[in-house]
Amino acid sequence: MRVMIVEDEPNIVESLSFVFSREGWQVAAALDGDTAIERLLSEPPDVLVLDVMIPPHSGFEVLKRVRSEASLKALPVLVLTAKGQEQDRHTALRLGADAFVTKPFSNRDIVQHVRELAGVNGSAAEPPGSGV
Amino acid sequence: MATPLIGLKIRDRRKEIGLTQTELAGRIGISVSYLNLIEHNKRSIGGRLLQQIAEELDVGLEVLDGATERRLVSDLNEVLADPLFDRLRLDPGSTGDLVGRHPGWAQALITLHRAFLDRSQAMHALADRLNQDPFLGDAIHRILTNVSAIRSISEILTSVEDVDAEQQHRFHTILSEESARLSSAAQGLSTFFDKAHTATRSTTPAEEVDDFVLENGNHFPILEEAAGRLRLRLGETPRVMEERMLEALAEDHGLRITRAAPENEAHYASRAPLRYSPHNKRLLLLDSAPAASRRFAVARLLARLSFAGEVEGIISASATLTTPAARERAAIALQSYCAGAALMPYDRFLEDAVKARYDIDLLRRAYSTSVEQVCHRLVTLRRPGSEGLPFAFLRSDPAGYVTKRFPLPNLPLPRYGGTCPLWAVYRAFQMPETVVSQLAEFPSGDRFLFVARAVAKGDAAYGQPRHLLSIMLACEALYADQTVYGDRLDLSAAAPADRVGATCRLCARDDCPQRQEDVIIKSQSAGRGGPGLAAE
Repeated sequence: MRVMIVEDEPNIVESLSFVFSREGWQVAAALDGDTAIERLLSEPPDVLVLDVMIPPHSGFEVLKRVRSEASLKALPVLVLTAKGQEQDRHTALRLGADAFVTKPFSNRDIVQHVRELAGVNGSAAEPPGSGV
Repeated sequence: MATPLIGLKIRDRRKEIGLTQTELAGRIGISVSYLNLIEHNKRSIGGRLLQQIAEELDVGLEVLDGATERRLVSDLNEVLADPLFDRLRLDPGSTGDLVGRHPGWAQALITLHRAFLDRSQAMHALADRLNQDPFLGDAIHRILTNVSAIRSISEILTSVEDVDAEQQHRFHTILSEESARLSSAAQGLSTFFDKAHTATRSTTPAEEVDDFVLENGNHFPILEEAAGRLRLRLGETPRVMEERMLEALAEDHGLRITRAAPENEAHYASRAPLRYSPHNKRLLLLDSAPAASRRFAVARLLARLSFAGEVEGIISASATLTTPAARERAAIALQSYCAGAALMPYDRFLEDAVKARYDIDLLRRAYSTSVEQVCHRLVTLRRPGSEGLPFAFLRSDPAGYVTKRFPLPNLPLPRYGGTCPLWAVYRAFQMPETVVSQLAEFPSGDRFLFVARAVAKGDAAYGQPRHLLSIMLACEALYADQTVYGDRLDLSAAAPADRVGATCRLCARDDCPQRQEDVIIKSQSAGRGGPGLAAE
């Protein structure tokens, strides 16, 4: 399975990449929205993990673009929002997000959400060293 | 309007000097039964009759009038109108009794309520900041991001056993970096709240200054005298006056004065007509500021620098001003008072006001001052033995925020907005720069002349909204014929008047189409309540 992380904080990208790799997933990452769109179009992932607060225009712009592209319309999107930002959740939902995880998140939660969105069976896909 | 304490005071004083009702009634030429009604607060009195009684009882009018107590009653009624007390079903008629018997407790309640409102406002201001401040939004996002990274890495380090040494070192480095960023973000947040705290507007100092001015009847003889001395140096015509004030600032106080030409004024976003820097003694005058505002500002600065001792003396003697912020506000108010007194000298201004029948525009032109300056000065004409008409003063912005008030004993002016929208002070916003006069009748039957005018403060730059304020003078309808504003009004008792109230919660007019809130007072026996509370 291929997961793409769109997040402007390199240390979060690094930790999530580590966690996702441990699950046996291929990881791609983008630190800004424009790069994200470019990579999404060239190599569509199975799940997109998308932070709301990314440059240059916010994760919502990326989400809008994803939903307007025929090839990406069905791509499962997990949105990372800040805790308590209800408005962000409403906006993401309206724009077609499939799930949310609020910061600060636990690795276990985020992995579980990605599995569910990808339709991966947790126990079957569980590689050694998982459960982070 | 019934005043709860006059009757009691008359009766106490009459007994104190050993007069019978019959004797006193005979001396002032009224029936014994009428005097009896007065003493039991069943009839309200004022004017000539009250003066006669005061003379016969050999006491000052202010003793019988009980202005302080009535102010307490009025303030207490406003406390009572707070929805906070809805469930307690407090009897509004008992405020007069409470003030009469326990004035200290009444004051304590009012003080507590004001402190409560102050804290509520501060809380709302902080809540607004939390919700809307871009710095906060950004700081919280940064903190959550740092915490997310720390949490994620920590989870890896504690739950994954086979992380190689190099990767472990990398994760430790990330933890260290993110912790440092988190500390920095937290410190930024802490600094922000320190500043937010000092910037939170507190209403308490304003309330204290309000009370301080009321206690002094908005008349300060020491400042009148000081302003009189200043005036002798200033000459007569406005232009000469301004030049001489600037000379005094330069010569007496060593200020370096520069003028900003209109084309350079774009740098000075403030609406203030002058800028004074005490540390380098520089004064910058904005030439394009309205002349009256600039002259007044110069006079206020001169008063500030010339009469600091007098102002400090008055402030130190006051027990009402308890905080540094209140004392600072009071100093500014007294400096403005002094400026008004210098530009509009008491005796001449009073004479002109009487001659002009309190025509604000005539006085404004004669003294080259603004509408607000004239109205404010009219309210300060309270020198015993040489008084002008007793006026109340109210200044409001279009949102109903009362920014200045001076009530009359029987015309309470709410402190916290929510005043009756039918008052001329609000109507004036519909016709800026036009005088709106109104004969207003309260549910008690008391009638007042309201004269209001919405004025633009300063000059708004292109594209900026005008800063409108409505200024209102009010006096008892009894005196309306002494003003030009009464000329077009039918002042006879039977004439129709605009039916107004104090605030919805204190107004008994059930059928008012402007009602926004339910009244807390359904019925009340006449004479028991405080100002503005008597039943129709």
